Amino acid sequence: MQDFYSKHPKILRAFDILLPFIATLAALGVGAVMLMVFDANPVVAYGALLEGAFGSTNAVADTLVKATPLLLVALGICIAFRGGVINIGGEGQLLLGAVASTLVGLSNPNMPGYLLIPLALLVGFFAGGAWGAIPGLLKAYFNVNEILSTIMMNAIAVQGMNYLLRGPMIDPVQLESASRIPQTARLSAAFDLPRLIPTRLHLGTGLAIIAAFLVFIFLWRTVVGYRIRAVGLNPNASRYAGINVPRHIVLSMLLSGAFCGLAGAIQVYGLHHRMFTDGSATGFTGSAGFNGIVVALFGQLHPLGAIPASFLFGALIVGANKLQRVMQVPSSFIIALNGLVVVFVVSADYWRRRLARRREAEVVGEVTISSEAEVPT
Amino acid sequence: MDSSPIILTLASVVLVSTPLIIAVCGEILTERSGIVNLSLDGTMLMAAMTGFIVAFESDSVWIGFLAAMAIGAFFAFIVAFGSIRLRQSQFAIGFVLTLLGDDLSAFLGQNYTRIPGPVVKHYAIPILKDIPIIGPIFFNQNAVVYFAFILVAVTWFWLFRTQPGLRLRSAGDRPEAGFARGVGINFQRYLYTIIGGALVGIAGASYSLNIKIGWSEGITRGLGWIVLAIVIFGGWSPIRGMFGALLFGATKALATYLQRTFPEVSVVAFNAIPWVLMILVLLLVGSDFTERVIMIVPKSLQRPLQRMLRISPPQALGSTFVED
Repeated sequence: MQDFYSKHPKILRAFDILLPFIATLAALGVGAVMLMVFDANPVVAYGALLEGAFGSTNAVADTLVKATPLLLVALGICIAFRGGVINIGGEGQLLLGAVASTLVGLSNPNMPGYLLIPLALLVGFFAGGAWGAIPGLLKAYFNVNEILSTIMMNAIAVQGMNYLLRGPMIDPVQLESASRIPQTARLSAAFDLPRLIPTRLHLGTGLAIIAAFLVFIFLWRTVVGYRIRAVGLNPNASRYAGINVPRHIVLSMLLSGAFCGLAGAIQVYGLHHRMFTDGSATGFTGSAGFNGIVVALFGQLHPLGAIPASFLFGALIVGANKLQRVMQVPSSFIIALNGLVVVFVVSADYWRRRLARRREAEVVGEVTISSEAEVPT
Repeated sequence: MDSSPIILTLASVVLVSTPLIIAVCGEILTERSGIVNLSLDGTMLMAAMTGFIVAFESDSVWIGFLAAMAIGAFFAFIVAFGSIRLRQSQFAIGFVLTLLGDDLSAFLGQNYTRIPGPVVKHYAIPILKDIPIIGPIFFNQNAVVYFAFILVAVTWFWLFRTQPGLRLRSAGDRPEAGFARGVGINFQRYLYTIIGGALVGIAGASYSLNIKIGWSEGITRGLGWIVLAIVIFGGWSPIRGMFGALLFGATKALATYLQRTFPEVSVVAFNAIPWVLMILVLLLVGSDFTERVIMIVPKSLQRPLQRMLRISPPQALGSTFVED
């Protein structure tokens, strides 16, 4: 076995990349047993899941639309984790990007769309970046734990959003009617992101995929990206090599937040065309800021790995809804299924690393891919 | 019997802070052994849900607390197993568990929302409750509150004055040295992560059985993160952690009071106060800036101030240790 792999490193690499998907299939296998406990036919159930996610043009479009914010958030998470900072503030950064870009659209209703959309997306990008840069600055210059500060920044962002949507930014129509639903007016139809085919699929999905390639080039083909990764792998060695460590910590948090903010802006301009709240962050984000972290880990913290990972999770979310409607299984099953996938992927990663260590021990001097995929903590 | 509004408010601050104190003690034990259990927010929700349902069905709060301890210990075990055996990032596992606990508790508890259930009985300690001021605040409460304060003392004594406590701290501070001395580092980490998790379970259940009686979705959401922040603020010491928890409880009470006094100011401002404050607190205890401020005060005050404000985490916190 060892000989075979060392002669064919490409097969080894393909195996590494495919492993999460094999693990996902295994998780679905365990899910099938659980379905049988509920007296549901697993073949029919997974048929419904597949049909819900890929069964029609509309279904595929919905899957891609669900995957878009997940992919953008995951890109941000990749940059932060590669830079050695753990960004759990995706939810708040996404909200900031959404609110700021909505403000741009509401205050310039007569601007032509081809000017306003790029401007609004850019504003969303930098608003999220600014919100992410705050914990970055606190971490780099004041040694504040970024996990906690990003969580607190989420809570503050939710309060700020609730204030704006119930007060200054509320739809004038809602203000007059008694219902006072906390949402903004619909943005001018001229500002809608173009639809790709007559479904809900919008240009944002394409932008997200392009962004994934740009992030890959940034992290692996530019000096600044190299420095960010160096800081993430070993801050002390980076400092001795003359890299300004605090500055690159702030930069990686800023970019991380920026992609989350862009996700928010694209949700507004591509899908909802307005900003709304139910009092919590989840109401608008659908927990994309958190699920994006799982997607990034699933894609082994690689921007290109995040593309299939986000599609898979988008498909799971969309398909699971259909499964639940068709089979009438408790919704806890869906949660358990998602949990199973994560657990299986995590343990498969352990297994992969063990194999890699064994190979390393036997083939001295060969660089294994696995060491790159470790989560810097 | 003194029952002026201020005394009553302080007594309620103590009551509301007790789950935080218990959870802080648990997490301190865990982190002192070198593991970060990031799943607190989800664990507390699961424990609050389980504790209430079990207590409701069995009609005994104590069985409810036991069930909550088991859930807390189980979640903590996953974190320990994932990081020690599977060598995965503790932060990733803890975070995934946070999400899972939140969703799972919302689903499993959906048939038990907003119904009254058993409550921990009020029990004033005789004699002690008649001490002026302190009596009504601290000794006119219930068993969970007394347990929290006893726990602080026991945790402190265990950590800093006993042999097993030294072994525990060696696992978090100098695992290599401890291992050379014959301490089973990973055993220590398993043990104290699970004990810490069980305490967090008690904290979660004391919410649904003692403070906001009953279960509703997301009843303790956010508190787990507050606890993690208080652990840092408390410099991984139970006594400082206790003061941190009481301070947080007092801040919340103050925010409620200010809100009533200034109704024209938006509610969200007061909702945001505790979070902003926590960031400022983390900023204060962790930064070099504080060091520079300390240099300004008279020399005789510098040492005690430094001891009070400067803290350093257990040195091997969050890292894995290979026993060989």
